[in-house]
Amino acid sequence: MPNIVCCFKWVVDEAYIKPSSSGKIDLEWAEYKLSDYDRNAIEEAVRLQEIYGGGVTAVTVASSDATKGIKDALSRGPEKAYFINDDQFENLEPSQTSAILAQVIADQIDYDVIICGEGSSDMYSQQVGPRLAEKLGIPCIAFVNQLSIEDKQIIAERKTDEGMEVISAPMPVLVTVLPDINNPRVPGLKDTLAASKKPVINIELEDLASEYKRLLIDKGLKAASIERNCTHFGAGPEDIKAFVEAIRKTGVIDRG
Amino acid sequence: MSGVWIYADKYEQVFELLTAGRGLADSLGTKLTALVSGDNDTAQDLIARGADEVLLFPPLAEDQPVQDYVPLMADEAREADPDIFLIAASLKGKEMGARIAARLDTALCSECITMNIDDKGKLQMERLMYGGSAIQTVSINSRPQMATIPPRAYEPAQVIDSRQGSVRTLKKPEPSGMKVIDRKGKAQSSGDISAARVIVCAGRGLEKQEDLDLVRELAGVLGAEVACTRPISEEKHWMTEESCIGLSAKEVKPALYLGIGVSGQIQHLVGIREAGIICAVNSDENAPIFESADYGITGDLYKIVPALIEEFKK
Ligand SMILES: Cc1cc2nc3c(=O)[nH]c(=O)nc-3n(C[C@H](O)[C@H](O)[C@H](O)COP(=O)(O)OP(=O)(O)OC[C@H]3O[C@@H](n4cnc5c(N)ncnc54)[C@H](O)[C@@H]3O)c2cc1C
Ligand SMILES: Nc1ncnc2c1ncn2[C@@H]1O[C@H](COP(=O)(O)O)[C@@H](O)[C@H]1O
Repeated sequence: MPNIVCCFKWVVDEAYIKPSSSGKIDLEWAEYKLSDYDRNAIEEAVRLQEIYGGGVTAVTVASSDATKGIKDALSRGPEKAYFINDDQFENLEPSQTSAILAQVIADQIDYDVIICGEGSSDMYSQQVGPRLAEKLGIPCIAFVNQLSIEDKQIIAERKTDEGMEVISAPMPVLVTVLPDINNPRVPGLKDTLAASKKPVINIELEDLASEYKRLLIDKGLKAASIERNCTHFGAGPEDIKAFVEAIRKTGVIDRG
Repeated sequence: MSGVWIYADKYEQVFELLTAGRGLADSLGTKLTALVSGDNDTAQDLIARGADEVLLFPPLAEDQPVQDYVPLMADEAREADPDIFLIAASLKGKEMGARIAARLDTALCSECITMNIDDKGKLQMERLMYGGSAIQTVSINSRPQMATIPPRAYEPAQVIDSRQGSVRTLKKPEPSGMKVIDRKGKAQSSGDISAARVIVCAGRGLEKQEDLDLVRELAGVLGAEVACTRPISEEKHWMTEESCIGLSAKEVKPALYLGIGVSGQIQHLVGIREAGIICAVNSDENAPIFESADYGITGDLYKIVPALIEEFKK
């Protein structure tokens, strides 16, 4: 029976990101959320467990503020969580996140399958999964939209630019999943209550052996808003006419 | 040692990276090395298009995934120690880039949108953050400086006669235990949205697949290509991902974009930033797309689109 690990990230909800008057990004009022595609990663872990048995462990690297994220993740079905936290773990780069995950997973967690999202909602680097696989020295199958286990082998259908490939690989293995792999469940009140009773293993920076050097130097962040001055029209016949007329006037369509 | 390295798993992108890499190699006064699978003719073609050196991968077994080249590429790069290593941001390239970077203990700028060499000879790169609502500038403090480069960011390199270069064939990669047990090509989509002058984009405001006909009819009247949002291609599979616009799909630059039942989340909008005129039909007057549109109609698409078809026909 497979031990399944899913990696999730607690991220700034990009819908709250607004440029300040200086063009800088203002995160002060931002809300946080579970990274979108990590919901698919967690759901897939739980789905595999429902079919093949075994256990599901959710893991995150975050600052200590992310306790809400742990609860959110656990309400989606995993039976325990590793919360690797330190206030320095705020804006980690993929090489650091993956090295920290690799250390904790290698030392403390039994795993046959590790599931990551294809990319995180804030960074969307699409690196942490493949890097983690390399650090652990296990096969990596990225951009997967169908997953099963047959005779100790993972069978994964993955998207490629040319179409798709079905891959078999021995376990342990790491996969990154696309959003169409499943429909993540929406946790109910009962799931949320159950989540508060599940064990959370707290790991802090001093429990980790290595140093995690920053290699990617952040030279600044600027807003990239796409604001335009919208002329609004209603749904009446006159509005339709005026809308079409306005578009025609711009000369972008050949007819008319 | 020094040098600029490029790798792409598809030829179109090899040519684009030759352009990008040649520019960087010239400004650093160093040589350009292309890694590619193919034969000596391929290598000579790449030399004619700007490479100084070509490292040829021998062919893989039928059931070997291209990712089996990763250990080999990392070993070669460790040995040669290039300054810069660019990889095409295809799905395979993105995974391979991250894995090579992990093996080399270096950083990688994913889907780099601009590259410049600063006065210290270091790469300054920009990439999107927060779904596209911000642009981050980064540089890399380790070697090689790695980046993945989205398709079509550079013109393909042209053949220049009488260029010289060297070719070296690498050893066969070891099988990794991963096996390709099936491959399928994808259905060809009808039109090319990246070159379209007018685009009508279908969003999840459409209730069922048949309703795409309504959008297609409007597109027909406008001489437009039909595109879609990610839920339409990736969740509902009503259209192919070739037709999808946005952060994880294509960037388009039409003169006119018309979104039908598209909410306008940033990850979609980032793909139409360069559109001339942005128009939207949405039943929710607070839909974010209206903030980024030039002209918007608030209303039910099932009433509005037929009326638009009539009006545009006039
Ligand atoms: C990392 C990441 C990458 C992503 N990459 C992409 C990407 O590349 N491309 C992309 O498109 N998305 C991408 N997304 C998803 C994106 O965040 C949005 O979820 C998506 O764009 C929404 O698609 P939509 O507008 O079709 O659907 P919805 O957000 O569901 O919007 C449907 C809209 O239709 C309107 N509507 C409903 N009924 C009617 C009606 N009868 N008449 C008129 N209007 C109606 C609604 O008011 C609503 O605004 C990405 C997300 C993440 C996290
Ligand atoms: N801080 C983190 N903690 C745990 N998992 C993470 C973290 N950051 C990224 N991941 C995982 O790696 C995937 C890709 O992230 P990224 O490389 O940032 O796009 C995410 O979908 C998660 O599954």
